[in-house]
Amino acid sequence: MGLSSANTVVNEGFQLCVFDLRRGQQEGQELDKILFFHPADLPFSTQLSVIGLSEGLITFTSLFKGIVFVSCRIFSPEAACEVIEAERHSHVFHQAEQDIWMVMVVEKSKESDAIWRIDALRKVLKEVHSLFVMFHGSIRSLLDKEPSGGLVRPHLYNFIMDYLSAFQKRSPWDICCCDFLVGKKIKLPSFRDCLKERGTVQMLTVGREAALEVQSLVRVLESCAGNTPCYSLVLFQDLLVSTTLSPDDTINLFTYAVLRLAPHALLSRASSWSYLRKGNSASQINAASVLASSGPVSEQFYGSRDTSPHGGEHSHHVVRPLQLNKWYKGTDGFLVTDIWGPEVGIMVSATPTVWLQQTDERMYLCVYQHKSLTLILLFPISSILNGEQGLSVVKQQIVENASLKMLKVEEKLSKGWGGENAYHVGGYRYLLVDGDRNVSRASPPGKVTTLTKESLISLSNLREEVDWEKSREIWDDPGHDKDLEICIRAKNNAWVIARTTRGKELYMVLEKANETLLFASDAVEKFSNRYCSGAFSLD
Amino acid sequence: MFGKASSSQLSVSLGGSGALSHVYIQHPPLRCSIPGSKGLFYDDGNKLILSATSDQVFSWKTVPFASHAAPTSDSISEGPMLSIRYSLDAKVLAIQRSNHEIQFWDRETGEMFSQTCRSETESILGFFWTDCPKCDIVIVKTSGMELFSYDPESKSLHLVETKRMNVSWYVYTHESRLILLASGMQCKSFTGFQYGIIRLPKFEMAMAKSEANNKPVLAAEDVHIITVYGRIYCLQVDRIAMLLHPYRFYRDAVVQQGSLPIYSNKIAISVVDNVLLVHQVDAKVVILYDIFADSRAPISAPLPLLLRGFPKASSSSSRTGSKDTDSLEANDMSDHETIIYGDNWIFLVPDLICDVANRLLWKIHLDLEAISASSSEVPSVLDFLQRRKLEANKAKQLCLVVVRTVILERRPVSMVTRAIDVLVTSYSNSIKTGGYFKGIKSEKPPTPSVSNLNISTSVVDESIRREDALGKSIKHGSSSGVENESLNRSPDFPVSDPEENVRLENSNDHHSLGTKADTENFTAGETSQSEVQKLSSQSQLVGPSNSPLNASISENLESQAISASISPDEMYSFVFASVEEEMAGDPAYFVAIVVEFLRSCNVERIKVHPNIYVLTIQLLARHERYAELGLFIINKILEPSKEVALQLLESGRQNIQTRKLGLDMLRQLSLHHDYVLLLVQDGYYLEALRYARKNKVTTVRPSLFLEAAFVSADPQHLAAVLRFFSDFIPGFKNTADHTTYCRILNEMNSSIAA
Repeated sequence: MGLSSANTVVNEGFQLCVFDLRRGQQEGQELDKILFFHPADLPFSTQLSVIGLSEGLITFTSLFKGIVFVSCRIFSPEAACEVIEAERHSHVFHQAEQDIWMVMVVEKSKESDAIWRIDALRKVLKEVHSLFVMFHGSIRSLLDKEPSGGLVRPHLYNFIMDYLSAFQKRSPWDICCCDFLVGKKIKLPSFRDCLKERGTVQMLTVGREAALEVQSLVRVLESCAGNTPCYSLVLFQDLLVSTTLSPDDTINLFTYAVLRLAPHALLSRASSWSYLRKGNSASQINAASVLASSGPVSEQFYGSRDTSPHGGEHSHHVVRPLQLNKWYKGTDGFLVTDIWGPEVGIMVSATPTVWLQQTDERMYLCVYQHKSLTLILLFPISSILNGEQGLSVVKQQIVENASLKMLKVEEKLSKGWGGENAYHVGGYRYLLVDGDRNVSRASPPGKVTTLTKESLISLSNLREEVDWEKSREIWDDPGHDKDLEICIRAKNNAWVIARTTRGKELYMVLEKANETLLFASDAVEKFSNRYCSGAFSLD
Repeated sequence: MFGKASSSQLSVSLGGSGALSHVYIQHPPLRCSIPGSKGLFYDDGNKLILSATSDQVFSWKTVPFASHAAPTSDSISEGPMLSIRYSLDAKVLAIQRSNHEIQFWDRETGEMFSQTCRSETESILGFFWTDCPKCDIVIVKTSGMELFSYDPESKSLHLVETKRMNVSWYVYTHESRLILLASGMQCKSFTGFQYGIIRLPKFEMAMAKSEANNKPVLAAEDVHIITVYGRIYCLQVDRIAMLLHPYRFYRDAVVQQGSLPIYSNKIAISVVDNVLLVHQVDAKVVILYDIFADSRAPISAPLPLLLRGFPKASSSSSRTGSKDTDSLEANDMSDHETIIYGDNWIFLVPDLICDVANRLLWKIHLDLEAISASSSEVPSVLDFLQRRKLEANKAKQLCLVVVRTVILERRPVSMVTRAIDVLVTSYSNSIKTGGYFKGIKSEKPPTPSVSNLNISTSVVDESIRREDALGKSIKHGSSSGVENESLNRSPDFPVSDPEENVRLENSNDHHSLGTKADTENFTAGETSQSEVQKLSSQSQLVGPSNSPLNASISENLESQAISASISPDEMYSFVFASVEEEMAGDPAYFVAIVVEFLRSCNVERIKVHPNIYVLTIQLLARHERYAELGLFIINKILEPSKEVALQLLESGRQNIQTRKLGLDMLRQLSLHHDYVLLLVQDGYYLEALRYARKNKVTTVRPSLFLEAAFVSADPQHLAAVLRFFSDFIPGFKNTADHTTYCRILNEMNSSIAA
């Protein structure tokens, strides 16, 4: 298979770029501002024209800061520019850092799945950036470290490519779709994902007794590190049980854990080794060949030959935390990886590190797994003496002091867990978002797929409306949440409902429902009383 | 912070002991010197110390122990005396005159009769009065045991039963009602009876041999019967092996339970508050064991017995005595009187020491402070303290201090957890047995072995078992017997037993005060001695008529004392609240402790007062750990209550998410009024109106809504609110609010129009 040609198929109608407004402002140095462009094999002129357009719009709209253009959704009070809807493309903007922009261009095609919700796309940008910052620090800081961009480009390139390739791995139920790697379309979050909310965590509901046990475990873990501050995240399956991190850090680590660390992510590797092995090598070839195909300019530009495992000498070693199937379970119960090893491909497991927003500190990342229970522990690098050695002491402490409690907690949670359909509510397909806590809960994906396309598209459109309402609200009256209630009778006679109240959002699709509005309203009321402790039942 | 903590502990530990000792005797002793005394006797049935002259018997009650106790006296005829015992109703005095004769005096009439051996081949080893239903007195002879009933009418004894066997010697204690008859060449075969009727399986004691042909003979002083935690043990000193063998008595078996090492040829045994004291007399130290626990490890290192309160003598000089004492009392106290573990010390059951030569009686006390300060193993110290009944209040205070200290010293969470578990479990048990609320410290639930024993009898209450673990029939005997005994006692022998004493008070409560009984909490222990006596004498007036019914109740209350167990509220106010003030900085440790406490309470199903939740919220909020706080609330680790909700609202001033949690909690608790009020305050007046309408909240003043709507400067909303009240509140249109806001609304509209 011609991989380069496959790539063009992949990238057709999809472009993603990161650029810095502070760079390349002089004629002839325009290339300097490009930090990342996908597809990389696009001619620079094309790349520059996309970025030029975006830059122009950003500059233009920033003049209007403070003026609301209600009729056109380009302008919003905070970000200068959010989206451009062109005839054939949508440009989604995200200001990642000061003067550093990420733009995603998606093609509006007649194809059925290409119905996007802009906010969902922007959340993809946001997510990839947050994860990047968590592992590598901010783009700006990398630029400051090496103003030529020789450091940030390979990092961005590898990271974003790994992220995009990982896209399909997100949900354990469509592992089968991960053959994106060998040349299918990037499957962006479409209307089919309208009952999901990126950038939120999913929590396990536990009883008080189990919660106390979990907290007791968390405290024991904390005490294992002695006087060093320790943060922890406890997951059961793909669900969050406990966190001591700030909300933003929780989301990032949770996202990463679900992608790469949770039992599902590890299990897939173990169960279908040979298949995934193939996928793995394919991804590496893929990445390498992308570079190869993009010609000598690009290669020099990104300076990232080292992405191929045995690619000779290289200027910077690039850690690729999002690489697939790089984590495995060690003998002591801790997960190990060679991603952070000094040399790629050499199985030396250096302890991973992440950057914590809350404390603005680099932390060691230790992951312990027992059956379905995943514990993520973070220790500040600065407070662990002797580096790796000190860390292994702490790890030993954890195994000694906490393993019994972990067994107990795992057992207790397993007993109380209702399986992957635990949060299914018969008759409802719902998404519940608690914006205050960044928590969401939705009908299980397996149940959502039973909805008809019409219902999903209606809901996607409805959500778009609500997103718009919300952003306007922020402008109108910051700090004051408005109540909102929309019920739509879709073409297929399904009720599509959105309700927001005081920071909480509820989206719902009721198919095969009675035709009266009263029924729909009752259904919401019932749901609210049973599952949201009455948060949505105001009337 | 730490300095403060350790100093507080120091003051506690040193305040008590003052020296290296865990057990002490308190000066002054009870002096029972009577001119012309021929000897001292101990009547353990009535807990009397007796001193006999040629024609009189003086008796001091040892319980409650008071050094100034005045003796009562009885006249007797002259003659040799081997032992003296009053009947349990104190009406009859019995004196063993020789190996063949026991004389009896009726104390009221002064009539006397005597009981003699029938044959010359047998001789009387001893006798004791008993509260067994069948008989009143048991006479032990070399040929066996004879049970007699006493007939007050005819002033004579009637033989009820005879148990024939060869007896070398016997041991008996009244508190266990158990007699062990030794027989055989080595005197190591034992037959036991309880209440003279329940026969225990015959058993042999193990004895090490020194040489092949030299078989040691077990002596009576080497066997001790003790009662701890309602269980009966027999301790056998094996002088050859230098071991002390405890045997536990079950209804159907006698089981040896390990061995304790001894370090002295002379061993004495005392039991103070269920703690076993093994006096190593030669080594002049005492070792403490708490044989409730499985381990046979001593509570603490061997330390000397301390004489406390000796005038002008420091503890170090107390052994040698003070030479330059010039006060009268000190002169009185000559050197040799204060020799600890002197040769003339006799150890009386359970906790008395009689100095025969100086005619002094000492009572042994535990120094709980010293014991608790001596061990670093905090959970076991707490466990030990929680089981203490005699000084329950002190034990409780010590527990609180100990817990506070370990938290302040930031000892490992796991250890504090175990310490908290001990306290919570203990409290839970005392709740289950009703001990906490009645001020009774009941003991822990039966250990497996005990429950085996009691399966058939379904005896649950330890305090009943306390009397004996040997079965129901005995229990009945015990309860009614003891009851009669105490109630029928003649006034010149007011009280003989601290437990019975308190019991009487409480049974009195039960009868005369009725409903007040339950509220009777700590008063029992706090009542002064005189009050107790008064009450007990009152209860004596009640008479024996009520005994059958209340027998079991009073048995229940017999072990009454203030409970050492600590309720969650006390934990909060004496530990958490005070500790929190002193602990600055990172709350992680403190939160960990609170979580463990909550977990422990949850396991035991004990309700926790919201103030500890409130404290936790304050702490987390102060350190801006809102994410954890939210998790705690959502998982209901901090259970919802109005107090918690209000604290969330308060702490949420800096964090809107936390405030919302508080609001949600108010709603979920159906505290509609507060919820509506807060919604209005936050400017959500329309939502508040809707909610008020739905939940029929009429207690919030309309003006608040109107004011909020006015502040929002939205004439439509103001109009809507006005309309709402006009429609739903009858007569609203006539109120001042209505006119005021109508006018305001008009102004607003006109200004907009303009």
